[in-house]
Amino acid sequence: MSLTERELLELKPDHVVDAIGEVCPHTLNLALDKLKKAKPGEIVVEVTDHSIATKTIPAAVKMNKIGEFLGVAKKGGEYHIFVKKL
Amino acid sequence: MAYTWDVFLLAAFFGFAYGFLLQKADFCFVASIRDWISVRDTRILNGVLVLIAVALIGWAVVLATGARTVADVWTVPLGGANLLGGILFGIGMTIAGGCGSGTLYRCGMGYVQFWIVLACSIAGNLLFALLYDPWGRDALEPLTVVESGYTLYSLPVPVYAIPVAIVLMMAAIAIWRFGFRGFAAGFRSALTDWEGNPFKQSHWDIRLVAALIGIVATVQFALMSNVSITGPETRIGAVAVSLFAGDDFVFNNTYLNALFADFPKIGLGPEETLVFFLIIGSLAAALLSGSFKLRWPKKSRLPYAIIGGLLMGVSSRIAPGCNIANVITGIGGLSISSVIVLVGMIIGIFIVVAFVFKMPLLLFRRDDSFGA
Repeated sequence: MSLTERELLELKPDHVVDAIGEVCPHTLNLALDKLKKAKPGEIVVEVTDHSIATKTIPAAVKMNKIGEFLGVAKKGGEYHIFVKKL
Repeated sequence: MAYTWDVFLLAAFFGFAYGFLLQKADFCFVASIRDWISVRDTRILNGVLVLIAVALIGWAVVLATGARTVADVWTVPLGGANLLGGILFGIGMTIAGGCGSGTLYRCGMGYVQFWIVLACSIAGNLLFALLYDPWGRDALEPLTVVESGYTLYSLPVPVYAIPVAIVLMMAAIAIWRFGFRGFAAGFRSALTDWEGNPFKQSHWDIRLVAALIGIVATVQFALMSNVSITGPETRIGAVAVSLFAGDDFVFNNTYLNALFADFPKIGLGPEETLVFFLIIGSLAAALLSGSFKLRWPKKSRLPYAIIGGLLMGVSSRIAPGCNIANVITGIGGLSISSVIVLVGMIIGIFIVVAFVFKMPLLLFRRDDSFGA
């Protein structure tokens, strides 16, 4: 499923991960930690300025089937990465 | 040997090209292995494999045409130091979050964390040099098996035989994994992944970038030298210290003195120029795509940057060489010691992923469960 940036930013996330200034692998680990704690159906968004996280997080959640990647919205040099816990 | 200005210009061009390309693909050697063992994501690993394949063919072409001879291939003493240095470098770069090249291009993107990693890595280089003279040399000496190093190019077979055989094998494995269609589609998507102006696009396909880096490194090998990063960084550190402590700091140290053996005086040469321009190339690429931003790390990450950087600095002198030298010039030159260094690096990355960051290890898991 892919939503437009606007649709993504209108979502009400249940958990927000602040990963500004973080780099790999912390950007991924923080997202996975939060996803583990989230309940199924909840939306986790990670806010980061590390562009590579926009590739690693979707790949990781797809591989370990912990969540559904909803999309990335770019806002003022920051990436908001949306994942729905499965 | 005195260098002329054209060599510096050439070095600046190569450095700029590496920095630009590395930034465009977020080329991360740590991630190539880490993401593969942790979440079975092979996107970046595929890029590294393409780079290796292109370097192998590139070196074979350069040697076959006689532009360079086997004596020009980068080899280092073969032995236990390769494995030890590789493991420590793998641990260091995974803790720091960036390898030899990754640290540099992220400096250009405005990551303050990697400025700290770079400074600590250079401090680690110098620390090694200071330890080398009194006892480091004696400690590492017994690990050496073959003093002169060894490249498979010394074998009495046509120069292209081994590299072509390895690349054909890699292609066969790729076709076996993805099928003929998938293999061809990979080429197509690598070449057509464009959305408008390429210079403003923040991400280029990593396989295309890998191939371009391999070509640039091949041209550099033919025209100038073997690409390396941490050796020049050590010289940059030595030059910086000698500004305060005087040139005797270098002359009185066996290790540093040897590093400057080919230099007319203590100063920066073409390879150091290359390192500076790598950062400038990355800065240019990041500015064009709007990816440049001064990024301040969280305080809690500083120990990782400092310890990781120091470890990388010391270990890149033990191995010797960082990921760039060993992956491109080492594997491209079929140097056995580089293969050992790379095995060490993979072990080091695994140790940190599994025991320090405690990340999932999906590569070794057969079931679909996820937890703990």
